[in-house]
Amino acid sequence: MTGPRIAGAGRLALIALAGLTACSHGLSNDAGSNAGGGTIGYVQMDQLVQKHPLYDQLARYDRSIAAFDLTSTAPRAVGADPQMRAREAELQRELTAAADRTRKLLDQKQRQYQAQESQAIAAALRGANIGGASAAQIAGNVNLTARQQQGFVAQQAQRDLQSYRSSLQHHNQSQISAAQKALNDRASRTYRAKAEELQSKEAALSLSLANEDASQRLALHTKLSSLALDDAAREDAQNQLKALDRKESDALAAQRNRDQQTLANLQAQLHTQVQQELNAEVSSIEKRSSGSLAARQQIVQRQSASVGGTVIATSAGGRPQPQANPNLSPQLRAKIQQLHDVYQKRFEDDAKTTIASFEATRADLSRRYAELHGVNDASVGGAQAQIVQLRKKRDDLYDQIVAQIEREVRVLAQQRGISVVLSDVVAPVGGVDLTPDALKDIESLHE
Amino acid sequence: MHVRNSRRRAVALACALGAALFALPAVGATDITDIGSIDQGAIASLPAFQVANRQLQQYGQGLERQFSKRAAHASRAQQQQLGAEFQHRMADKQRQVLGPLLQRAQVAIASVASSKNLSVVVDRRIVVYGGTDITGNVRDLLTGVGAPVPPVSTPPPSKVGYVDQQAIDQTPKVKAASDDFLAFKATQDKLYGQKFKDAKTDADRDAVLKDYHKTLDDRQTSTLKPVVDATRSAIADVARSKGLILVIDRGNIVFGGTDITSDVTAKLK
Repeated sequence: MTGPRIAGAGRLALIALAGLTACSHGLSNDAGSNAGGGTIGYVQMDQLVQKHPLYDQLARYDRSIAAFDLTSTAPRAVGADPQMRAREAELQRELTAAADRTRKLLDQKQRQYQAQESQAIAAALRGANIGGASAAQIAGNVNLTARQQQGFVAQQAQRDLQSYRSSLQHHNQSQISAAQKALNDRASRTYRAKAEELQSKEAALSLSLANEDASQRLALHTKLSSLALDDAAREDAQNQLKALDRKESDALAAQRNRDQQTLANLQAQLHTQVQQELNAEVSSIEKRSSGSLAARQQIVQRQSASVGGTVIATSAGGRPQPQANPNLSPQLRAKIQQLHDVYQKRFEDDAKTTIASFEATRADLSRRYAELHGVNDASVGGAQAQIVQLRKKRDDLYDQIVAQIEREVRVLAQQRGISVVLSDVVAPVGGVDLTPDALKDIESLHE
Repeated sequence: MHVRNSRRRAVALACALGAALFALPAVGATDITDIGSIDQGAIASLPAFQVANRQLQQYGQGLERQFSKRAAHASRAQQQQLGAEFQHRMADKQRQVLGPLLQRAQVAIASVASSKNLSVVVDRRIVVYGGTDITGNVRDLLTGVGAPVPPVSTPPPSKVGYVDQQAIDQTPKVKAASDDFLAFKATQDKLYGQKFKDAKTDADRDAVLKDYHKTLDDRQTSTLKPVVDATRSAIADVARSKGLILVIDRGNIVFGGTDITSDVTAKLK
């Protein structure tokens, strides 16, 4: 009989306490508000957030944002620039103009060296007291020199074209690789973002299911811990618990299956999309490349065709004339050959300089062409958009985590009779730190 | 008879408990009775504030247009001068448009806080549980007819203190540590930015990021942590000496509270 009596006394004491508390709290109507008096508590929200089941997801967002922040750039997905064609045409015009300038210069130099060589040969013949070479002989000499010089220029131009072709191939390969990388990276980012989103939803679903069943689960556990429970009732409670587990895991598994299917579909879709875009880009690069090569071939042809040609018309209808009079002494022929070699060498050296200058111009234009196509370029705008999107997702998730923590903390505060709980405290001097208890509750959400 | 005796004992126990409660000190070391909170976002969304914000936005757009016109033919120095002039004009306009509204809101908050015996009103965002939410009362005063009446008395001394973190950040030691860390971070950003760009695979990029975070964390621990710890300790010392229970950032205080910034900055020098 003692037990019930004490219990009765305890109840009365509690009623009295409640009455006193109500009096001291005045007439406040705010639910959860206790401004009339009580203890202040605080929580270290950062610590609690780090222990939340969804924190890994939040950290992943933070890492992704940090990665974008760090680079400030992201590989650019291949995109059409409306000004691209105009800029390409402009570069092509500049290249053609440079080639024309080179051609004219070479032509001019060729004539200049040929004239000098002819004068030198004539002087040599005069010095040998030979009545002078016939006009046909001189013309033959000059035209032969012209053909040799033309051959040199043609060889240079051919080498130049070959070098251009291999440079273009290399450039194309770089462009294709860059496009492939950009497309793959973009697809990979899209896939990862979707996977993270689904994972986050699964975690939230798991949490929500656990929350929904928490009270029922607690009641069943309490019931099971009672020694007075008979076997049938115990088995029934255990079955109910198993049913709860099964219900939660089935719901989660079903969601996971759906998500896996979604991801598989997305992967297939991204693969097809990447392949299509890459094919289009490769085709576009090859088209541009063959256009550039054709234009270059025309330039080379013009270069070769325009330089030289018959400088002095011969009586034999342009047919090659003997290089020198065969009746000349071997010394004189050697002298003429030497003069020819000297002037040919001078022309070649001079022409090399002119062609090198053209090469430099072409290299500069190629560099600008590469920049135009952005082989190593990056798109800041794309990265910024990704950062904004990631930040939004991150903030949403953070709010969700904080809301869950606040619910747990409110329950704790009510249980411990604390009237106000604050977060973001700079320096706690007094007050009750609810962080350790809240940490335990948050950690139990993992179970 | 037995039941009647039990009831008597219970009543006596209840009375004893009640008396014991009255005998306890009214406010203990962790007790607080007078914290209010307000949702500043809800106040900012009141029609009067929205109209003012729209007005400011339009004014700002007009200023931008004027600035673009005048800056187009100006030198860099002239552009800077123009920028300062336009910022000044914008600030003036803000004072002119928002000033009276904010003043009215302050009076309304003070009035409600006074009527509810609150010594401090904080931003609703930092309140996890409890406190007296005065958002509705303030909104009613601001949307009602007539101006809110200012309270007769100043708020009572509060056991909640606050510090202006920005002022503390400007103290020589804190600023030196902070500048040092920022300079270090800027160098590392460039260095790791390039490494990140050069990384070929996702695994490489993850490794770069991990290394980057570790480098910054290490530097933070060696440079910033001692200063942060010293600051926290100084704040706690001052708070104890003034009998405060908690200290929060000034940004979270809307009304009342005990400002200990100058004591803390003096201690940090």
